Amino acid sequence: MPDAPWPSDLGVIDLMIAPPFRDARRTYTFLRQNLRDRESLEEFEFPAQYMFKEVPHPVPGDDPVRFLLEQMDRFGIEKGMLGISTRDDGESDSRRALREHPDRFFGSIDVDPNRGMDMVRDLQRAVEVDGVKAATAFPAGLHPQVPINDAKFYPIYAKCIELDIPICVCAGVPGPRVPFAPQYVGLIDEVCWYFPELKFVTRHGCEPWADLAAKLLLKWPNLYYSTSAFAPRYYPKAIVEYANTRGADKVLYAGYYPMGLSLDRIFKELPDVPFRDHVWPKFLRENAERVFKLS
Amino acid sequence: MTAEGFEKARAEVGVIDTMIGFPAPREEQAKQYDFIRKQTHDADSQEWEFPAQYMFKGVPHYEQVDHPVEMLLAKMDEHGIRKAITGLPTQGDNPKRALELYPDRFFACAPVDPNAGMDSVRALDEAVRVHGAKAAHCWGTGLIPQVPVNDKKMYPLYAKCVELDIPIFVYAGVPGPRIQFAPQDVALLDEVCWFFPELKIITRHGAEPWTELMVKLLLKWPNLYYSTSAFAPKHYNERIIEFANTRGAEKVIYAGYYPMGLDIDRIFAELPDVPFRDHVWPKFLYENAARVLKLS
Repeated sequence: MPDAPWPSDLGVIDLMIAPPFRDARRTYTFLRQNLRDRESLEEFEFPAQYMFKEVPHPVPGDDPVRFLLEQMDRFGIEKGMLGISTRDDGESDSRRALREHPDRFFGSIDVDPNRGMDMVRDLQRAVEVDGVKAATAFPAGLHPQVPINDAKFYPIYAKCIELDIPICVCAGVPGPRVPFAPQYVGLIDEVCWYFPELKFVTRHGCEPWADLAAKLLLKWPNLYYSTSAFAPRYYPKAIVEYANTRGADKVLYAGYYPMGLSLDRIFKELPDVPFRDHVWPKFLRENAERVFKLS
Repeated sequence: MTAEGFEKARAEVGVIDTMIGFPAPREEQAKQYDFIRKQTHDADSQEWEFPAQYMFKGVPHYEQVDHPVEMLLAKMDEHGIRKAITGLPTQGDNPKRALELYPDRFFACAPVDPNAGMDSVRALDEAVRVHGAKAAHCWGTGLIPQVPVNDKKMYPLYAKCVELDIPIFVYAGVPGPRIQFAPQDVALLDEVCWFFPELKIITRHGAEPWTELMVKLLLKWPNLYYSTSAFAPKHYNERIIEFANTRGAEKVIYAGYYPMGLDIDRIFAELPDVPFRDHVWPKFLYENAARVLKLS
């Protein structure tokens, strides 16, 4: 990235990335139970595809992990966070990547609070045995949906504090055609109030409540924002402005490859984001390093 | 003959009292209820020594108590109470002395405060690991603000109880003090038992007037238990007795209410007349508590 406004040897950390899917449709089967409209159920390969131009369809050959590493090298991405789930039956490309390239990848475990104490125990095991660095959750994609401030989430949040890991939670209107209520940004306030120690990282934009997100980011010291699923040209203005003023330590880069955005597009658009100079290294690396305890 | 069943059980296995306190001079006792007065609005509650006193006859009063721990022990000996619940050693001289000097007679129960968030979760963990607490306890209705039995603030504490494998005492039914009952509506237990099937819950204070529902829930949820605290035995609820005599012999646990509202002599004078079947008595008086609280 010769013309980028950040140091070329920075070593970007990407908080949302994955090896190319072997079967995209299968990746989203979990969501079908919450979908009602015909287009989503019968036509879409990716339930939010109507929102994205040029959803990537990489042809990784027979080693998606090797392929992903080559992509990361092209754009100066030193490390990527890969999600694992208790839905995986045993092996997955992400699990293999984490095992074979611990210097390039770190793991997160996706939580389903509907599973109660079993999930609490699986979370603890994922951290203590598999060494994952974070929990993740998609409240509107759970079946049944679980609002961000729901009681079922509370034992999970408490466990994250005990384990001293952040939780990355989707917030804002979700792309897939499921009800948005569980991800209303206003719900985050109660969680940050009750669990002041919880490191809570939003995913997927917080739109159209980015102004509220900025207010909450200022109000709650352990609340963070990550840019997943947004092409850089669409980063909300309120968030860019917040990062440039009070919030340089609170906004973290996350991509969306290969789910909805190509790395080519992301890194083509990134230099045009009007971050001030001091924001770039924090945004692309240092905030993640600190919040996810990577060093 | 129920009185014989009671006497035999008391003599052979003894009694565990899952709600009892140390006698205190009446002024000191009255002060212990200041936290309740804070959220009452009626005039009576401000004046009464005991905010539920309109419900009780013969509330024990002492002008002076010289050795509360030994005084309680003497009463326990008199009535065959082998083990009694108390607080943490960090909660005062009495529980500290009781647990240190008479560890075979007292076991600790840890209070939790869902309004304190993770601090209470950590304190509970410490209470069990450091002080050997056998149970947690929460009277959510008495807290400011009140915390309903199924409130999300309770969830991290319930999760911790499951992890620590200890039961939690919660309250069910209309409370005596003139504060709102909603946080301890019996129906709220259903959700908690559903989400935490491993959690052992012991209700206190009668579950009235929803005892029919309480029995349904006791039957439905294997880890839900009922204790008889704050009820004189002559007022034990008919449905609960019937449940104990039929499907629920393992689910009903003795708890007194001395010295808060009932004299211990009265409790033990009335107990033999409770129409429990013979096989229920040892379980009710001792064995169920010993098993659920893991006392041995």
